[in-house]
Amino acid sequence: MNKRFDPIIDKCGEIIDFLMASPDMPKDEDLQFKIRLSVEEAVENVVRYAYEGGMGWMEVGTELDPEGVMLTIVLRDAGVPFNPLEKADPDITASLEERQIGGLGIFLCKQLMDHIEYKYEDGCNVLTMKKIVA
Amino acid sequence: MNVTINEEGSKALVTLEGRLDTTNADQFQKDITPLMTGSHQEIDVDCTGMEYTSSQGLRMFLMLQKTVSARGAKLVLKNMKPQVKEVFDITGFSHIITIV
Repeated sequence: MNKRFDPIIDKCGEIIDFLMASPDMPKDEDLQFKIRLSVEEAVENVVRYAYEGGMGWMEVGTELDPEGVMLTIVLRDAGVPFNPLEKADPDITASLEERQIGGLGIFLCKQLMDHIEYKYEDGCNVLTMKKIVA
Repeated sequence: MNVTINEEGSKALVTLEGRLDTTNADQFQKDITPLMTGSHQEIDVDCTGMEYTSSQGLRMFLMLQKTVSARGAKLVLKNMKPQVKEVFDITGFSHIITIV
């Protein structure tokens, strides 16, 4: 299931709802919670930062393998080349005083999904997230 | 996300209900401003009805904790759903915010 949103400004909620309504999504509430959170963080990243003013497009899609085990979510945009996975993880052992506000979004994706990868291909950022759902 | 704040002397009793995500984090920040600018010495937050938080929500809790600690007051989050608690655990927030 794929869809292109153009422009993506103010469409965060709509894009997340589209992905979560996919028939590929598991029924299990706990899995849904983790996938939704990862999807939200990844989508928000693109909507906020990929294009100046959010005036650009984004293609999103889901796929479930024939065995119904591996769910794949792909986000594609033609915005500024940016590999979110290169960003350093926040120091989760820092004290309250030292703890930085921010940098948690992609960290959560990494923790909650089983696999996440980024590539820059044909002028597009492509983020692929995978989760074992069975 | 609905935020209800009741004051009892120097104590604030807060109830959170709903989802805290990218669509309502700005409103949530406005809603909890009285807790940051106020002089409450104890802030008890009932999270029974909080169904979800994204990193946007976590940022707000961290800001609140920093502000509250800076004035020597106490913040306690109570009755958090296991799924939401897991998000606080994964990000190390459980170490810097009191959750009971």
